[in-house]
Amino acid sequence: MTCLSDLAPEGMVHVLTIRSPSARGRIVAVEPPHLPKGYRLAVAADIPGENRLRSLGVEVPILASGRVAYEGEPLALLAGPDPMVLAELAAQVRVEIEEEEPLLSWETFSSDQVVAKRVAVVGDPELAFSIADKVLEDAYVSGPLEHWYSEPQGALASFDYDKIAVRCATQWPYHVRDSVALALGSRPEEVVVRPTRLGAHLDGKLWYPSLLACHAALAAFLLKRPARLLLTREEDFRFSPKRASSSVAVRAGLDPTGRLSALDLRIAVNVGAHAPLAEEILSQACLAASGAYACPNIRVEGYAVATDSPPMGAFAGLGAAPSFFALETTAARLAEAAGQDPVEWKARNILRKGSALITGEPLKEEPPYDEIAERLAKASDFRRKWACYELVRKRRTDRGDGPLRGIGFAFAYQGAGSSLSGETPGAYAVEAVLDKELRLLIKTSAAVSGGSAIDIWRNSAAELLGIPLESVAVAPPDTDSAPDSGPVSLSRGIAVVNKLVERSCLAIQKRRFRDPLPISARSVYRFPKPLRWAEGRVEGSPFETAAWGGAVVEVELDAWSLEPRPLGVWLCVDGGRIVSPGRARSALRACAAGALGSCLRESLGCDEGRVAPSAYYRYGLLPLSELPPIEVDFVGAERRSAAKGVGELPFDTVPAAFLAAVSLAAGARLDTLPVGPEILASTEGA
Amino acid sequence: MTVSFILNGEDVAVKARSADRLVDLLRERFGVAGVLPDCRRGVCGKCLVLLDGRLAPSCLLPAFKARGREVVTIEGFAQTDEYGDIKGGFADAGLETCGFCDSGKILAAAALLERNSRPSREEILAEMSAVPCRCTDPEALVKGVQAAADRRARRLYRRADQ
Repeated sequence: MTCLSDLAPEGMVHVLTIRSPSARGRIVAVEPPHLPKGYRLAVAADIPGENRLRSLGVEVPILASGRVAYEGEPLALLAGPDPMVLAELAAQVRVEIEEEEPLLSWETFSSDQVVAKRVAVVGDPELAFSIADKVLEDAYVSGPLEHWYSEPQGALASFDYDKIAVRCATQWPYHVRDSVALALGSRPEEVVVRPTRLGAHLDGKLWYPSLLACHAALAAFLLKRPARLLLTREEDFRFSPKRASSSVAVRAGLDPTGRLSALDLRIAVNVGAHAPLAEEILSQACLAASGAYACPNIRVEGYAVATDSPPMGAFAGLGAAPSFFALETTAARLAEAAGQDPVEWKARNILRKGSALITGEPLKEEPPYDEIAERLAKASDFRRKWACYELVRKRRTDRGDGPLRGIGFAFAYQGAGSSLSGETPGAYAVEAVLDKELRLLIKTSAAVSGGSAIDIWRNSAAELLGIPLESVAVAPPDTDSAPDSGPVSLSRGIAVVNKLVERSCLAIQKRRFRDPLPISARSVYRFPKPLRWAEGRVEGSPFETAAWGGAVVEVELDAWSLEPRPLGVWLCVDGGRIVSPGRARSALRACAAGALGSCLRESLGCDEGRVAPSAYYRYGLLPLSELPPIEVDFVGAERRSAAKGVGELPFDTVPAAFLAAVSLAAGARLDTLPVGPEILASTEGA
Repeated sequence: MTVSFILNGEDVAVKARSADRLVDLLRERFGVAGVLPDCRRGVCGKCLVLLDGRLAPSCLLPAFKARGREVVTIEGFAQTDEYGDIKGGFADAGLETCGFCDSGKILAAAALLERNSRPSREEILAEMSAVPCRCTDPEALVKGVQAAADRRARRLYRRADQ
């Protein structure tokens, strides 16, 4: 599959975005200089269809009209054949905004800023707190994170006979199609989306490619020529959605036996302007409120807070990671308060089969905590190291005693198969065709990166039909040939699409010796009971199935500089049936490396509602040379037949394990990441 | 000004402005798709070339710096035996990439193996830090470069034997 940067059809024009210099205000003027022939400035009034992009029940303007809601919001598009001339013209576009004071605060907020609220109460938390033996209170902040995907976002729109053809790297081709059709006032069938190579994306290409596709399509429509908008890396870094910042305030109570008896969480999520995915991110954050622990009394209150910052979004999942981080860090402190080894404390409090989830439903499967914890403890020598490091730290007299060491453990799950709000039940499908040569072609719009998901689909199909693996192929995820299989997020490539592949193959198998070839079968996905949040309760299934995983991280702190250095990462995962162990290991190691980067280095500094221009020049992924060995182990592969998505687990476990390790090494309470010497030096106890 | 240099084994000459970067010259004037102008600050490794055999980010190189020198992009390197060693080594180790960073990784491995035929894990990760990418499995990358080193050694041994 080709990449967008390499596509430049003859006669193509380039598109630049004219952005708002202010975070909030009224648009007074957007005036171009004299434009040479072949160049064009497009504003909201030039959009032939509707100036809105629908994203899971939320609407985002394609171009700002009347008002601006964040610094960098697209105001207009400048299109023309020569990118250098365009850059000169763009600098001459006069933009006048009547500025107003922007709303940037989100940890404390007014009721006007709340775009979604979730409250769920299980049991009687207040009573449980009143009789608790120990109560701990802490607050954790998870800042925005940059996806740094393989290629900056962009789109190319051109004409393909009577259709507009859009090329872009997207996780959701049909969303791009429907968005472009709405913007151009066309029928969806008049737009075809042919995805380009996606690469690593960490859920950063869920809905934003649709916005850029609308921009490219508008330019192509107005100039009647192919038009490509490709953000520069710096532009993408500063203005595309990041991981939504979250603050999680936790109050936890222990009963006299050291068991978790009560939890009270208050979650605030900064969803930025226009708040796309606000409902989803908040729901996922609240559903993970008790982490992987059984607690009979829970109260969770969550708010999605709109600010005049760029739209915030998903990052390797839709918002559960900050809750897991908060809960796992709290669990480490509860274990300390109970005077227990963290692995043992967690074993006593972990969710078990039949434990009530936050929805009140019992957990249908037994989490393999004991096996995962045991394997991790053995592989990392956790128990000995944990006891030794604590003892060594307590006996230290001065810095001359050498570096400090710490080790931490965290556990989490990755739910799969849940529905997103705004989705049409039964809308997603997969088609399979078995031809006369007994070759199977799988048709799905699920644009996945990497080969793991495709491997799983092909293996499932080959096994069910009893044909060689080489006879199974997957068609390109183009919207003119593949049915809508929904967004590739929340493990859907495996949890939903693979299920549909299996059903289609079973349908073919039933007809195979009765009907003549070719036989095609189409399967439609039925979502499980959707979640319903109302009157302080949430009803439904938070997930259909879940992958479970744990991480151990060992770190060393330089005695003088307090620079943390990871010494090792151990992951152990129950991802059901692992079709390609090598690929699954690689994917988990790559995600663990990314998660470690967020612990040590990756910080955006988005304090004033914008990513500062200088941040781009300071930002970088963790160099490979600073990565420790990362070991990956699997459990349960032989017991379970269904494959599950596991890619989010490192982001749900590694940060909390890292913080626990650094806290142990430093003998300090830490509540935010990344952690560097400047934070450790200013922390009491370090 | 006219910039003359050797591009993938061929003598080339092209008019360039003083502000032109080598990456743009390669893509726009010579149609080289193997260099991507991504970060434009020399950190992403997607525009790496071998300049007189040494790894260099072409987005930070003024075009005139190529004058009189040899520039090898992945397209040119793909014609060499070393390319086969590295591709084979990566495949042996099951290293998969996102498709955007592979040219940088291959050239970085080539530059390393040219200097050091038996690099350690630390040396490999240090050299490969020139191509940071979210897709990278560091352990598979280390194994891939070591497998490439094995293949290269075997090939050179066979050649010497002949």
